[in-house]
Amino acid sequence: MNPAPLDLVDAGPRPARASRLRDLVARRPEAITFVLLVAICVAVSVANPAFLQASSLIDIGRASVVMGLFALGVFVILAAGGIDVSFTAIAAFTMYSLTVLVSKHVPGLPMPVIVLMAMAGGALLGTVNGLLVHHLRVPSLIVTIGTQYLFRGFLLSFIGTVWIMSLPPQMGAFGRMPLLQFEAASGATITLPMYFLVLPAAALVTWWILNRTLMGKAIFAVGGNAGVAARLGYNLRTVHVFMFAYAGALAGLAGIIHTCANRQSNPFDLVGTEINVIAAVVLGGARITGGTGTVLGTLLGVLLVVVVNSVLVLVGIPSTWQRVVVGGFILLAAAFFVTCQKKS
Amino acid sequence: MSQNAPIENAHLPAGTRPFLEVRNIHKRFGGVHALRGVGFTIVPGEAYHLLGENGCGKSTIIKIMSGALVPDEGEIVLEGRAHRALTPIQSLASGIETVYQDLSLIPNLTVAENVALNEQLVSGGGRLARLFDAKRLRETAATALAMVGLPTVRAFLNTVVADLPLAARQLVAIARAVATRAKMVIMDEPTTSLTRREVDNLIRVVERLRADGVAVLFVTHKLDECYRIGGHAIIFRDGQCVEQGPIESYSKARIAELMTGRKIEAARYRTGRPGAEELFRLEGFGRPPAFERVSFTVRRGEILGITGLADSGRNELATAIAGVVPASEGRLFVAGQETRVNHPRQAIAHGIGYVPEDRLAEGLFLDKSILENEIALVVRQLANGFGVIDQAKGRALAAKLSQDMRLNTTNLDLPVGALSGGNQQRVLIGRWLSILPKLLVLHGPTVGVDVGSKDTIYRVIQQLAEAGMGLVVVSDDLPELLQNCDSILVMNGGRIVAEFDARQADEDGLYQAMLASKTETVQ
Repeated sequence: MNPAPLDLVDAGPRPARASRLRDLVARRPEAITFVLLVAICVAVSVANPAFLQASSLIDIGRASVVMGLFALGVFVILAAGGIDVSFTAIAAFTMYSLTVLVSKHVPGLPMPVIVLMAMAGGALLGTVNGLLVHHLRVPSLIVTIGTQYLFRGFLLSFIGTVWIMSLPPQMGAFGRMPLLQFEAASGATITLPMYFLVLPAAALVTWWILNRTLMGKAIFAVGGNAGVAARLGYNLRTVHVFMFAYAGALAGLAGIIHTCANRQSNPFDLVGTEINVIAAVVLGGARITGGTGTVLGTLLGVLLVVVVNSVLVLVGIPSTWQRVVVGGFILLAAAFFVTCQKKS
Repeated sequence: MSQNAPIENAHLPAGTRPFLEVRNIHKRFGGVHALRGVGFTIVPGEAYHLLGENGCGKSTIIKIMSGALVPDEGEIVLEGRAHRALTPIQSLASGIETVYQDLSLIPNLTVAENVALNEQLVSGGGRLARLFDAKRLRETAATALAMVGLPTVRAFLNTVVADLPLAARQLVAIARAVATRAKMVIMDEPTTSLTRREVDNLIRVVERLRADGVAVLFVTHKLDECYRIGGHAIIFRDGQCVEQGPIESYSKARIAELMTGRKIEAARYRTGRPGAEELFRLEGFGRPPAFERVSFTVRRGEILGITGLADSGRNELATAIAGVVPASEGRLFVAGQETRVNHPRQAIAHGIGYVPEDRLAEGLFLDKSILENEIALVVRQLANGFGVIDQAKGRALAAKLSQDMRLNTTNLDLPVGALSGGNQQRVLIGRWLSILPKLLVLHGPTVGVDVGSKDTIYRVIQQLAEAGMGLVVVSDDLPELLQNCDSILVMNGGRIVAEFDARQADEDGLYQAMLASKTETVQ
C-alpha cells in the first residue's frame, strides 16, 4: 500500500572517516570541550603533580557550584534563542535581601525555607524578565541589561549597601556542612561541602525538563524558530515566562549558596561575572544564536573555565593571563564549531 | 450569524455535512483591504484549489483558517459550530493541518520531532507542563513518513532537519500534516521543489487522504497539477472570491483571465530573431561530477533556454557561468575573447549578469529600499571622489529602471521585502539593466510569480533581446521556455543531451529528453 521510499535521502551512516569526526563534532560539540578539558588536566598534571591532589580537585568542585547553577539557567534561555545578563543581579538581590530579612526579622527561619524563598524570589524576578521580553517584544539582551540595572539599583538604594560579615547561624552552618571530609598530607582538613550536591541535582532536573517534557521540546523549538513555533501552537508567553523564571530560581539558589559558602553577604558581589558564565555555556557547545546545546556540555564548559581559572596559578602563569587563555579558547572553539557546521 | 447568504454548495453530494465553512470574511491590514467578504465551504474527502495572483488574499485566508490571524468580520463555521476566530491550537485540535510555503519546520529539531511533536502538543490542548512520550513520537513519525514515501529508519528519524535537502524537507512538512488525524490539509505551494516523481508520489498521498475522508486544499500556481488532482476550484482576485466550481470546467486561459481580470494570451512572446554576431561561447565547460562537456553559443539578441531535472546540472551550470561556483574545466569566450570567470566580480566586469533562482536569499536586500537595491551595482560610479553617493543621480536612475520594469509602485523608498514576488523579480532584473550586461543569465525567472507578473517579465525579456542583449533562461517551466526562447538545450546527467528549436518543440519532447535514462542517447 505504501509507496516505496524515495532515494532522495541518504539515511545510512556516512563512510568517510574524516567526515565521521566532523559529524560527531557537529552533533556533539561538547566532545571538543571534553577533549580540551582532559588535555589541560593532563598537561597541568605533568607540569605540576600537585594538581592531582584531592584538595585542588575539591577546590574545583566547590568553585563550580555557583557558576554551574548560573550556567544551567543561561543555557536554558540560550536554548530558546534568548540571552540573560540579569541573573547575577537577581542572585545578589535575593541573597542580600534574604540575609537582611533573616538576621533582622526572622532569625529562627529554618534553612530549607530560606533556600525555597531564595528560589521563589529569583523566580519572581525572572518572571518580570520573561513578561517584559514577551510583551515589549524587545530582544532579551536589552531587556535583561535593563533589569540588571533595575534589580541592582533597587537593592543598593532601598535594601542596603552594608557588607554583612556575620551570617545568621543556620546559614553559616549550611555553608560548612560537610559531605566528604578528610585530612590532607599537610595536616589540614579538606571538606567537600554538602551544598556541592545542589549542582548535580539541578543539572539532573534541567536535563529532565529539557529532554522529558513538552516544555523542554518547546524551548528548543522556540530557539529554532520562534515564529514557526507560535504558528504550530506553542504558547510563546508560557515558554518565555517559564525559562526566565527557571533561570531566576537557579540564580536565587546560586546566590544563597554563594553567601553561605563565603559566610558573608556583600551586595556588590557577583554582578560583573555574567560574561564568564555565558562564555562557559558557549564553550560547552551551545550556539549563541539558540536552539542547540546540552546540559552535559554546559557542565563541561563550566568545568573548563573553572579549571583554567584555578590551574594557571598552579603552573605559575600569572592570574592576569586567565582572561587571555579563556578568550583564546572561546575564539578557537567558536572557529572550530563554525568550520564543522559549514560542512553539514 | 446574520448573513446566511447561500454559499456555493452545488458540489455537495446529498447528505454530506460540510467540515468547514467560512462566511463573509473581511480582513484589513492598515489601509489595505486584503479580504473583502470571502466565503466558501469545505466538504470531507474533496480536493480544492485556491487560485489567484500573488497578493490576492490567499495566504491571508489560510492564516485565518489555521488560527494565525483574526478576521475583522465574518465567521468560521467548524463542524457546525460558529466561531469569530480560531486559535492555532483550536484549529489544529479540530483537524486543520497546514503545510506552509516556508514549510514551517524547526531547523534544529529532528525529523521525528518535526513530524510528530505537534500531535502530542495538540492532544494535550497546548499545555506544556506534560511529559513527552519518545516512543509514541517515533511511532507516529514512522507511520507518517512511510505515507509520504520517506525512510522510517532510526537514523533518518534522528536526522536534524537543517541537514536535509529541500525536497526532503518539503516531504517532512507534508508528513507532519498527515501525522495527526487531520480532517483537512492545507498545502501552500507544496510542490515547488519536488521532482516529477515526488509530485506523483504526493498526488498518491492526496488520493489516499481523500479516500480517508480528509479534505485537501491546495494553493498553487501549477495548473497542470490541479487538473491531475481534480476537484473544486476557488478563484480569488483582489481579496474576493470571483468564481467557484469543478476545476475541469475551466480552461487554463479562463482561469488566468479570472485571476487577473484581463485576457492573457498563451501565445509565443518571442517575435524577434537573433543576430549573427557571437556574444558568448562555451567549449567543453564543466565541473564534474555536477556537469561537464557543455558547449554552446549565444548570439546578439538570442534567447537560449536551458532545462533539465533538478539534478541534471542545470543549476550548477548557471552558477558557474556567473562565477558564483566557478567551473573547473573548459573555455569561456565573451565576444570572441577567451576569459576566466572565477568570481561574480569578474563575471560582472565581462558584462555577464546573473539573476539567481533564490532571489530572496541570494539576490535582494529585503529590508533595504527599492532605490538601494536598484543602484547596488553602480554605487561606485555614482560616488564622487570622497565616496559620497550622488543621491539625486541614483534616484533618477532607479526611477527610470523601475519604470522600464513596470514596477507597480513609484515609491522608491519602499523596502523590497514588502513587494510581491513578481515585483521583487523585476527589481532584481532592473538592477542588472543599470550596467547593461552583454549576457544576462536568468535562473528560474518566474518561480513563485503569478500569471500577471509573468507576463510583464516575459515582455521585458523580449525587449532586452530586442535591444541586443543575449539571454540564457534556466528554468523548469517548459511553457515559459517554449514561449520565450529561440532554442532550448536539455540537460540530463550533467550533459547537454538534446537541442530543440523552440518554435517546433513541444513539452512532451522536452520531458522525454529530461527523463531519458542517462545511458540512452536522445535525439
